[in-house]
Amino acid sequence: MKNNSILYIGILIFGIAAPFIFPAFKVQLSILCVLIVLATTWNIQGGEMGYNSFGNILFYGLGMYLCASVQVGMFFPLAEWTESGGEKTFVHTPAQFFQGMAVGLIVAAVVPTIVAGLIGYSILGLRGHYFAICTLGLGVAAGEISGGIEIIGAGQGFTTPPFPDVGSLDSRGEFFYFLSFFVLVLTFITVRGIYTTRFKLILNAIRDNEDKAEAMGIETMKYKIIGWMISAFFCGLAGGIMGGLVGYIDSTDVAFDGREMGVFMVLMAILGGKGTLWGPIIGATVFHIFKEGFWTFFLGWQYVALGVLIVVIVIYFPEGIMGWLREKYPERFGEVVDEKDRKAQVELK
Amino acid sequence: MRLNKIILSFVSALVILFSTSVASFAKVVGDKIILGAAISLTGKYSSNGVHTQNGYNMAVDRINSMGGVKVGGKTYKFDIIYYDDESNPKRAAQLAERLISQDGVEFMLGPYSSGLTKAIAPVTEKYGVPMVEANGASRSLFTKGYKYLFAVLAPANLYLDVAIDLAVEKNNGKGVTVAMAFEQDAFSQDVRLGVLDAIKRTGSKKVIDDKLPKELNDMAATLVKVKQMKPDVLVVSGHTKGALTAIRQIAEMKVDVPMLAMTHCDAAKLSKQHGKNSQYALCASQWHKTLTYKDDFFKDGMTYDADFTKEFGYAPPYQAAESSAALLVFKDAFERANSFDQKKVRDALAATNMQTFYGNIKFAEGGQNVDKPMVLFQVMCDDGGKCENKVVAPTKWASAKLIHPIPSWSKR
Repeated sequence: MKNNSILYIGILIFGIAAPFIFPAFKVQLSILCVLIVLATTWNIQGGEMGYNSFGNILFYGLGMYLCASVQVGMFFPLAEWTESGGEKTFVHTPAQFFQGMAVGLIVAAVVPTIVAGLIGYSILGLRGHYFAICTLGLGVAAGEISGGIEIIGAGQGFTTPPFPDVGSLDSRGEFFYFLSFFVLVLTFITVRGIYTTRFKLILNAIRDNEDKAEAMGIETMKYKIIGWMISAFFCGLAGGIMGGLVGYIDSTDVAFDGREMGVFMVLMAILGGKGTLWGPIIGATVFHIFKEGFWTFFLGWQYVALGVLIVVIVIYFPEGIMGWLREKYPERFGEVVDEKDRKAQVELK
Repeated sequence: MRLNKIILSFVSALVILFSTSVASFAKVVGDKIILGAAISLTGKYSSNGVHTQNGYNMAVDRINSMGGVKVGGKTYKFDIIYYDDESNPKRAAQLAERLISQDGVEFMLGPYSSGLTKAIAPVTEKYGVPMVEANGASRSLFTKGYKYLFAVLAPANLYLDVAIDLAVEKNNGKGVTVAMAFEQDAFSQDVRLGVLDAIKRTGSKKVIDDKLPKELNDMAATLVKVKQMKPDVLVVSGHTKGALTAIRQIAEMKVDVPMLAMTHCDAAKLSKQHGKNSQYALCASQWHKTLTYKDDFFKDGMTYDADFTKEFGYAPPYQAAESSAALLVFKDAFERANSFDQKKVRDALAATNMQTFYGNIKFAEGGQNVDKPMVLFQVMCDDGGKCENKVVAPTKWASAKLIHPIPSWSKR
């Protein structure tokens, strides 16, 4: 336990110092935080509960649009802001910007949570492939629908309020980094918290045998919905931050980006090892570094390189990095291995 | 907890990796002026992204081989750092950030498409990095009060409103019925707004107003409606894919319409790929090789066309020409500023007033080029099936007469 707290404090200090150690990488670091949040929350469904959801991108995109809309709508007429070719230029004062962002993020967290509850109630009865396909449709539909809503810019896209002139040139990067790092810490504490409770065991029971879990008197539906709502809460927050960070929201390429973000969150969790606390975090970090590296050194071939990486992961690390480590060094995970017994078993076969 | 050790060593490996990968360039190294550009080399805009890159490279080579840029009595050469933005605004914004804060680039060239320019402009603006862009035409780019954004092209709303005017003129000044199909992206939607303005101005009527998806491979539903409603004009805009899809399906479904107005015909190499099927299509263009503008580097449109074709093996669409022009603008501004100070270069850019082979360039307050009209050309084929783009409007540049109405498919 003592060791643990040293580790956490170490990571916390590293997290706080990171933007000052690598000042040029603030944006990449902020995105890394967002990626970890997405992978960690996806893991609640995909890893612990055994429900492969492609629909978490819905909450991310929803959060993004909501945060930006609230931030603008609180002070200016939203329709005039998004109207293309509008002649007026609106500028947020620093106070307006931060107030708007704060309220926007709250809305971006709460509304997706409610939406997850409502949608979850109607589709979490589906299992296996049916659930996966259904959630895949959710993201695609949301992208197409939002691309037709004029007040949020429709196909034109939505330019989020520019960061106000406060402090130095670096303040924007620092603001978004610390915001995303804060959300990351919040996510980690929450997820780690619920993984120590009976809640996690119920999720695992659902994954391992849902009928049996029900037969034991567990109201599986209730827990599935709550699990999804927790994911939606943090996905919404992550989306809200990402919208401000990118500065421009496009319906299918930035917000409901199922083709990239939606797939990446699954990939990262699997790469790190799904069904573990640290897996998605390690997976997201490794993935992000590889991805940035590919984009720099294999220009034009980056997707080919990424594809090769995915194939290698699936073939050599089917259980993810954590799963591989666990198999390789079981004693480091607190498992007792009886070498004699293990060898005996191998020889028997 | 041995697990902690693993994680700790992992974190430290991360630190080492990050700290070794910091490589910084300065804007001017030795005799090189380094410009940054995020270009769509992959994704849905990849073909136009390549046109843009070829245009940039062509101008860089030309300027460098003809003496380079003279600043403060010294001669400099252009160099460009490229990244691939994958046609994705999120990626483009990140790359702009990266070019500026990691690679130390202090002057930028624009990406391809309005959406990506919209994503990059807030970043360049924040850092005060002058950006000359050649492929972001959406009007909303020029109303945000950006100070460091300069576009060598005419805004998107001017693309096709001329076509509506032409149709009204052919209809003896009476309003016409217009069917519209536009891709759901920043550029095409802006073209739509321009057409809507023209419809209002001329007392015309819109009968179809369809939105097309971004992965544009099918617009049969719209064309079925067109067959039923028989509008006077069909307007389609959706980058290269939109133009190709429209021509392919109009020919397949034998859709008769008196006037077909589009964008991106030359980028899609319509006349080459679809031959006679693309005949009579009316296309908006920023540039055409027969225009009589001149400069010292590329001489004129015809020479540019010949040189470009020799180097890259295909005729330059206007996307390439305007991209080349962006470099000429930068060179001119550097020399007039006689400095690499970003503010001074920005002011010099704002005061630009020059002629290039691509057209006159003079920036309005918002950064758009106000000194260059759009042209409309029509695809015309001879009996042998050889097709060519001929300018039909405005009359000043016209090299052929507009064929109107388009003969029906049964008579072709």
